[in-house]
Amino acid sequence: MTAAATAVRERTRRAPHDRGRPVLSRFRLPWRLVGYGAVLGLGLLYLLPFALQLVTGFKTDPDAAAHPLSLLPTTPTTAAYQRLFGLSQAADGVPFLRWLGNSALIAVLVTAGRVLFDSMAGYALARLRFRGRSVLFGFVLAVMAVPGVALLIPKFLVLNTFGLFDTYTGMILPLMVDAAGIFIMKQFFESVPREVEEAARVDGAGVFRIFWSVVLPMARPALITLTILSFQGSWNEFTHFLVSTQSGQYETLTTGLARFVSGGLGGGTQYPLKLAAALLSTLPVAALFFCFQRYFVSGANAGAVKE
Amino acid sequence: MGTRTAFAALATCAALLVTTGCSSSFGSDKEPEQDKAAKQKLTVLIATSGDAETQAVKAAAAGYAKESGNTVSVEVAKDMNQQLAQAFAGHKPPDVFYVNSDQFANYAKGGSLYPYGDRISDADDFSQQLRTSFSYDGKLVCLPKDTSTLGLAINTDLWKKAGLTEKDYPKTWEELRTVAGKLTKNGVTGLVTSDEYQRLGVFMKQAGGWLTDADQKKMTADTVENAKGLSFVQSLLKSGSMKFAKQVDTSWGGEALGKGKAAMTIEGNWLEGGMKLDYPDVKYAIAPLPAGPAGQGTLAFSNCWGVAADSAHRDAGVDLVKYLTSAKQQLAFADAFGVMPSRTSALTSYAEKRPTAKAWVDGSAHAQGPVTIAGFDKVLSQFNTELQSLRTADPKKILADLQRNGEQAIAKGH
Amino acid sequence: MPIRTMRVSGAPRSTGSPGAPDSAPGETGTPAKARARRAGLRGEGTWGWLFVSPMVLVLGLFMVLPILMALWVSLLHWDGQSNPFSGQADFAGLDNYRSLLTQDGLDRTLFATSLRNNLYYVLLTVPLQTLLALGLALIVNQRLLRGRGALRTTFFFPSVTSSIAVSTVFLFLFQGSGAVNSMLSWIGVKGPNWFADSRGVLSLVLGGLGIVDPERPTGMLADHSTMGLSWFEWLSGPSVAMCTLILLAVWTTSGTFMLIFLAALQNIPRELEESAAMEGVNRRQMLRYVTLPALRPVLFLVLTLGLISTWQVFDQVYVMGQGAPGNTTLTPAFLSYSAGFDNADFGQGAAIAFILLALILVLTVLQRWALRERGARTGRNR
Repeated sequence: MTAAATAVRERTRRAPHDRGRPVLSRFRLPWRLVGYGAVLGLGLLYLLPFALQLVTGFKTDPDAAAHPLSLLPTTPTTAAYQRLFGLSQAADGVPFLRWLGNSALIAVLVTAGRVLFDSMAGYALARLRFRGRSVLFGFVLAVMAVPGVALLIPKFLVLNTFGLFDTYTGMILPLMVDAAGIFIMKQFFESVPREVEEAARVDGAGVFRIFWSVVLPMARPALITLTILSFQGSWNEFTHFLVSTQSGQYETLTTGLARFVSGGLGGGTQYPLKLAAALLSTLPVAALFFCFQRYFVSGANAGAVKE
Repeated sequence: MGTRTAFAALATCAALLVTTGCSSSFGSDKEPEQDKAAKQKLTVLIATSGDAETQAVKAAAAGYAKESGNTVSVEVAKDMNQQLAQAFAGHKPPDVFYVNSDQFANYAKGGSLYPYGDRISDADDFSQQLRTSFSYDGKLVCLPKDTSTLGLAINTDLWKKAGLTEKDYPKTWEELRTVAGKLTKNGVTGLVTSDEYQRLGVFMKQAGGWLTDADQKKMTADTVENAKGLSFVQSLLKSGSMKFAKQVDTSWGGEALGKGKAAMTIEGNWLEGGMKLDYPDVKYAIAPLPAGPAGQGTLAFSNCWGVAADSAHRDAGVDLVKYLTSAKQQLAFADAFGVMPSRTSALTSYAEKRPTAKAWVDGSAHAQGPVTIAGFDKVLSQFNTELQSLRTADPKKILADLQRNGEQAIAKGH
Repeated sequence: MPIRTMRVSGAPRSTGSPGAPDSAPGETGTPAKARARRAGLRGEGTWGWLFVSPMVLVLGLFMVLPILMALWVSLLHWDGQSNPFSGQADFAGLDNYRSLLTQDGLDRTLFATSLRNNLYYVLLTVPLQTLLALGLALIVNQRLLRGRGALRTTFFFPSVTSSIAVSTVFLFLFQGSGAVNSMLSWIGVKGPNWFADSRGVLSLVLGGLGIVDPERPTGMLADHSTMGLSWFEWLSGPSVAMCTLILLAVWTTSGTFMLIFLAALQNIPRELEESAAMEGVNRRQMLRYVTLPALRPVLFLVLTLGLISTWQVFDQVYVMGQGAPGNTTLTPAFLSYSAGFDNADFGQGAAIAFILLALILVLTVLQRWALRERGARTGRNR
């Protein structure tokens, strides 16, 4: 710190500022308009794909092919949605409701498992003293560094060996604990002042009681972040389901859609159907996102600060 | 100290689970226990070309279920190869399924297919080259589901506009070169086809070559004949009277033909269904492919009906296949989605019913079956990748690469 | 329990240092620390292991064990049928690795192709996504911009959606006659047939300038080759099809990285900016001399995170081409998958997975090491 900066800091301390005010003056009006135009364009670049996706779901196949950019379907139809929800005859190969059910079941179970096990492990690593703790934490850090895509064949081998291939257990169990979640919870528990636990201990509470009734309730924000991250993660999970299942009955929104899009081009391109399915599969996470955006934000930052 | 305890604990856990778990899922040596129940539940996995095929197979399966009392559920695969490979490795395969010729040898070599050929009394009715393609170690493993061959599809309106008549349908390579040149004008290309050996291979065949010898034991890619075939294609490409489908913004020859961007294309029986669906108003005719220096030649394609070695319902599965490959059923499939019967007896009645498909039917007499060698999938896809630049590349180098890659794959398989 | 009460009353660990980690057991500490260690509840060790046991079990079984098993399988010729842990499996030693790295043949050509593709993917994606994320963060950080919250939401939203769903949308947008090409036609550009175009972008540019003939490369570039690919093929750049994957990656990841930058921007001491403003700097100088230097550690973090994640691209490849056209979207991750599941060569697939794993682990170790160095240095400065 230079002397000048220290002096400035002294001055600012004496005269506290309104933090909302900008440091530099505003741009001049023409520049401001250009700026707003550019920002608007940039925003459109992020929104337009979703808008087109939404609209195309209501188009017919030829319409979607002929007017890919128009934001109004020339002949609006809900055929794609009817087919997805099994209301029309030709629903073969796209058992959307089954995909949805599988995705929902797995996301709920995995989220529940992760929240419980990650916070237990995080608490133990942050607070409990036991042999091998530092090694275990090193283990968690090491596991965080292992890329999922390098484990495609390895995971298949293990599931196959245990007879878990193509079962719900095989889809869910390996996702029940994730290292990043443990890391987030450990960081959080370390920031909780010890006094609370000490007080509970004085009252004679056991380890589990302290964890369950004292510490966990305090961890609400971290738990919400973890819940949301886990739900999002398991809902969007693809590679694990790809190598842990084979039959149609275990297809989730991700594996079902991916196989549908990449493989079966038999009946033409069917973009309205594909885009409608893709849209519906993003909706739950999108809804969560708009309700709990700040937890997503803290999740993104927590995930980034790994050290 | 702490480190050691932790590792010991981890290792014990892992070791325990390995020893208890290993016995469970691997172990293909044992014969799977057969279901002895009177009513059996069969699952069928198919890769479909569209709703028509799905419906036809489902109807046929329902017919069998009614006749036999077994229940059959038909499932449509979205990515057949990956789903089957995983199912085999996971020992949870469907009972009956389509087997793509590209993958046939891989599955047969791995012992995933139950070889039921010796249980088919009238197997001779299926054409010789298809039976060879679906044999492994000299044994017929599975029955060809249907077949298709390549012919020269001609847009008759464009043909007339260029002042040509039916008599001008090319019989030789030189005639093909001449008409292709005449037809190429005003945004129309004389001949458009896909940039893959599954189409361009006809010229290798017509020149007297092919990728492998008849028994599929040796690579014969790097030969003068094959080079002659590819050089002919190259000369057409250079003259501009032939283009690949992608170069004219289409995904396959049928689309180019339908959109009027191509006057001729090389396609198989599936063209009929595609044209009916997408371009019902375009008129076209199917002529035999022109003959090369070594006479006529075309390629045949097929899938077979596989029965899983791991199936608990092998007998019922074979029973179902017999039903599905009966002459009557094959003709029903032919009506529904255009494929040709793989039984010679049924093929005759097919030809009578469809004079327009004569060239395709006649093609089976001099057709080359698909290459079915284990581990050849990537060799062939690499060959296709190199064919994409055939216009400028050296055909000899492409063939030399293919020869080398193929020899390595064959060596690895033994 | 005298010691514990003493701890509470004496409060040696007050709220002043909430984040301080506990001393690890087995570490020699001061007598006070040693006493504190003994102060735990009865059976705390047991509880500790009980609490971490689900983690140990799941991560051990589904992360560590798979790696060990795959290591074994990568030494076999295994077609996925027999039991790889019995004597029947065909032990091949390092054959799988040899055919990928040293032995001239198709396997090595494909592996080299996938490495080349992914290398270009990394080289383009990482700088682009970092720059874009930085730009977005600077925009959203403008205190006078209206609708900042909505913009932040908009930019971040693609990051939370499923990669499969977003890839589907991009497939639609980039069709030959799709939305992107219609837009390009407004400004008189005839867009390529994105997913069918296997030509390398660099070779197209050089060809356009007349420096090389992309269809008939000659000279040194065509005559030399490394790992079975000619130098020309190595240098021809990402294919047009690969560019769509790059665009997709930039589009979806920029939001997450924007948030990381944004958090860092908001952590810049306001006093610093104000003092600079008082010295009369303009915006560009402020960015150059105040903001960017303050962002440097985060910039490094974002770059390395990007570097690590771009080597893992798989989902998009699976949906958008599976290697086609002409193997130009093939990546090592997808090649590993397809070697195992398409070609029933699990040994080869496992070997590719291991090489990829090693590559990514090296990158991660480098990142952590560098971040730690940095952290130590800034720690001293403070």
